[in-house]
Amino acid sequence: MATLAIPRGTGATLPSFRDPALFVPLVGAGILIYLAVLPLLMLLIGSFQAEVAPREFVYTLKNYQAAYASEYTYSTFKNSLIFASGSAALTFVLGTLLAWLTERTNTPLRGIFVPLAVVPLILPGVLESIAWIFLLSPKFGYINVWLKSLFGLASPPFNVFSLPGMIWVHSVGQVPLAFLMMTAAFKSMDPSLEESAMMSGAGAWQTFKRVTLRLLVPAAGSVLLILFVRTLESFETPALIGIPARIYVYTSEIFLAFNEYPPDYGRGGALAVGLLILSAVGVWLYSRATKEGKKFQTVTGKAFRPRQFDLGRWRWVGFGFLASYFAFVVLLPFLVLFWASFLPFFAAPSWDAVQKLSLDNYRYLNGFRPFWDALQNSIVLATLTATLAMLLTSLVAWIVYKSRLPGSWILDFLAFVPITIPGIVMGMALILLYVAFPIPIYGTIWVLLIAYLTRFIPYGMRAASGSILQIHSELEEAAAASGASWWETFRRVTLPLLRPGLVAGWIYICIVSFREFSTSVLLATGESRVLSILLFTMFEQGQVTVVAAIGILMIATLLAIVAVFYKLTGRVGIQTQ
Amino acid sequence: MGRIVRIIIAGFMLVGLASGSSVWAQSLDELHKAAAKEGALNFYATLAQINAEIVLPTFEKRFPGIKINHVDATSDKLVARAVSEARGGKTLADVLQVPLENVLQVHAQGLLLDANFPEAAAYPEGLKGSFWVASDLQYFIAAWNTSLVKKEEEPKSYDDFTQPRWKNRLIAEPRDLEMLLAFAKYRFKSDEKAIEYWKKVAANNVEFHKGHSQLAELLVAGQAAACLTCYSHHYPIRVKKGAPVNYLLSEGVASINGTAIFKNSPHPNAALLYARWVASQEGQKAMAQGGRNPAHPKVDPTDKTKTEKTYFITAADLKEFPKYEKIWKEIFRLR
Repeated sequence: MATLAIPRGTGATLPSFRDPALFVPLVGAGILIYLAVLPLLMLLIGSFQAEVAPREFVYTLKNYQAAYASEYTYSTFKNSLIFASGSAALTFVLGTLLAWLTERTNTPLRGIFVPLAVVPLILPGVLESIAWIFLLSPKFGYINVWLKSLFGLASPPFNVFSLPGMIWVHSVGQVPLAFLMMTAAFKSMDPSLEESAMMSGAGAWQTFKRVTLRLLVPAAGSVLLILFVRTLESFETPALIGIPARIYVYTSEIFLAFNEYPPDYGRGGALAVGLLILSAVGVWLYSRATKEGKKFQTVTGKAFRPRQFDLGRWRWVGFGFLASYFAFVVLLPFLVLFWASFLPFFAAPSWDAVQKLSLDNYRYLNGFRPFWDALQNSIVLATLTATLAMLLTSLVAWIVYKSRLPGSWILDFLAFVPITIPGIVMGMALILLYVAFPIPIYGTIWVLLIAYLTRFIPYGMRAASGSILQIHSELEEAAAASGASWWETFRRVTLPLLRPGLVAGWIYICIVSFREFSTSVLLATGESRVLSILLFTMFEQGQVTVVAAIGILMIATLLAIVAVFYKLTGRVGIQTQ
Repeated sequence: MGRIVRIIIAGFMLVGLASGSSVWAQSLDELHKAAAKEGALNFYATLAQINAEIVLPTFEKRFPGIKINHVDATSDKLVARAVSEARGGKTLADVLQVPLENVLQVHAQGLLLDANFPEAAAYPEGLKGSFWVASDLQYFIAAWNTSLVKKEEEPKSYDDFTQPRWKNRLIAEPRDLEMLLAFAKYRFKSDEKAIEYWKKVAANNVEFHKGHSQLAELLVAGQAAACLTCYSHHYPIRVKKGAPVNYLLSEGVASINGTAIFKNSPHPNAALLYARWVASQEGQKAMAQGGRNPAHPKVDPTDKTKTEKTYFITAADLKEFPKYEKIWKEIFRLR
């Protein structure tokens, strides 16, 4: 059962340093320590420092007192918990339902819904929030205005400036993540297990409940975990909706601590350390849940094709759900932005507004140099981050889950650590780190590359490890037995088997890098500015309709990148029969 | 021999002094030669894109060879950034151009250079200091949505907003304590009267949103009928585009944006060149064309943005910000 190609015929001698079995984990650990631990160290040190005079520091516990014993501690904790668990639950339910309906049932026209399901991911968080503010604002939100006039209501039925509003807006932005990961899980599930259940006399529902659902446990656990932590560290919705509504969560507290004068690194750092501990508890729970990963290995050497559930008449209900989800959740925010991108200023649809429609915003962007610079930076950063992150994490995931090297859990932990560092804190830590760093990358897009890579390694890691857990060791053992070296086995057997997970991970990281803004807002300077920052500063400066036009062009660019990547990766790896 | 050496050294020192001071007295074109060798300028400024895209290219065309790297963010973020960079032991910024309040914050961290710009001589006291000169002014004014406010109920002065017909129809920026300070010191000349006035306004349940540009957009979209603390320079452009808004120019509060240079900046000559240029009549005209309110007494704004009665926030007033901030937050129950 040993999964490593331990040097054969070398008898009792220790594996040399040049042996990939030892060399690769060491390099992986080195990279991860550099990326994840160094900024964290800056953060920790900062959380115990207080500035007594400009650039004069003393060590103190005062920051923790300010962060956790203030009059706001309890409400911040409560809001964060409700926001994160509410979003994780709603996102997971929606994402799983979409994945199951499109992947494993005979719902009519499900094929066209698959690409549509990824669209909300492409909307940057800032834009997503703006779109929903325009739809659900109590005063001028289109939906509220329409419902009020339709039913003669006295007060608006929805208020986006509330905790449920925040949960809704954040969740619909996150559904594609749950959808992508659950789709990958459904795709690589061995149907023979379900078929055996059916043949043993279990009904469709019973099979679903007792076989399908249980097979999904590792994937579901990791998806829920990611959603929870990601919501905790998210800051677009808390900033755009939470702060105006005076609903503060951890990240907005950290954000406010860093943006008051003088910036309070201490309190912000102490709050971030708290987030880190919460996430660490999450990792611990996760590792407990998946410790016996073998139970769930579903990709074996046997050929298979996932089975479809016949929903019978219910398939029209499934269709109705898909259709209304896409009309209301995907299309509507997009339409609002599309509509706004042709307006000189934001206005409700009316004949008067229709007469004002023009291409002025797009014409303006055509001659607007910062837009083209930012577009180029965004494309370079997104594709590079995604590629490097997936290469690194597939290696690390293999070491962690297959090599059984002692202490490989440390790698797993290291690769997960960055998810606990909120973007804004990561930006701050990296400024402090690289501003004094001998290599002059501060202020260039390379520091952004490091920031993105670090922040998104955990997502790559989950995508890669979810798939790796499902690959049975017998395939690699077969390769090793046939004389393949470690590297050959990894490249020709493991990597192709991982393809569905890796492709999903690449696409996801590419997209989140493309729309990333909470780290970039501190690290991107004039010349290294990316699209999301341009979007944000221009929104702050009130050019909302130009922002909408940039958003539309961003979406188009991302769709193009994803399409090209899909086309390229479709030709490598295992041929699906 | 020793004496000769001393004379020579003294002579060199004199030349050095002369050339040192001549940097400040040089014409802009002479300074340009030294600046062009530096090639770039790191510009930390809140200047909005819509203004920057006119002002900065004017500078770059006037002084070829200097590329402006504009780092734009809200003022508190720019300050936090400069402070963080200093914490790391580096100065990356050359020029700071933000609200005076924030210029003083960066100065308090010991990051700014003392500089007497020759161009500042044309400015009245109050619009310049030992390390800064005004780049432009912003007027806090009231504005309203013309589809939500009937012609006959349009406000004539700030007094109107205490009336109950504005209940639940007002928006403002949560950080604009300048309004309270200016009303207390210059409009009512009494803290009590000013507090009483703003309490009456607060009784109308004012809604708060951060960012003045966003306030303007929200007003256009109909989030509220009127805005109490908007910037006047945000409106001419929106009115021209046909947005349903109008604004009050009979009275308003003016605050200063200032330009300053960083100590040990990477492009010292380019920094000085920009700071002097933007304070000059020429630079101020560019600011006016870019849609800002020039601070130079001899340059007028391009659009109608100056208020008839203006309550100026002076540099001295800034020291009283904490006091008025506390009262402002209490009145509106802000955090």
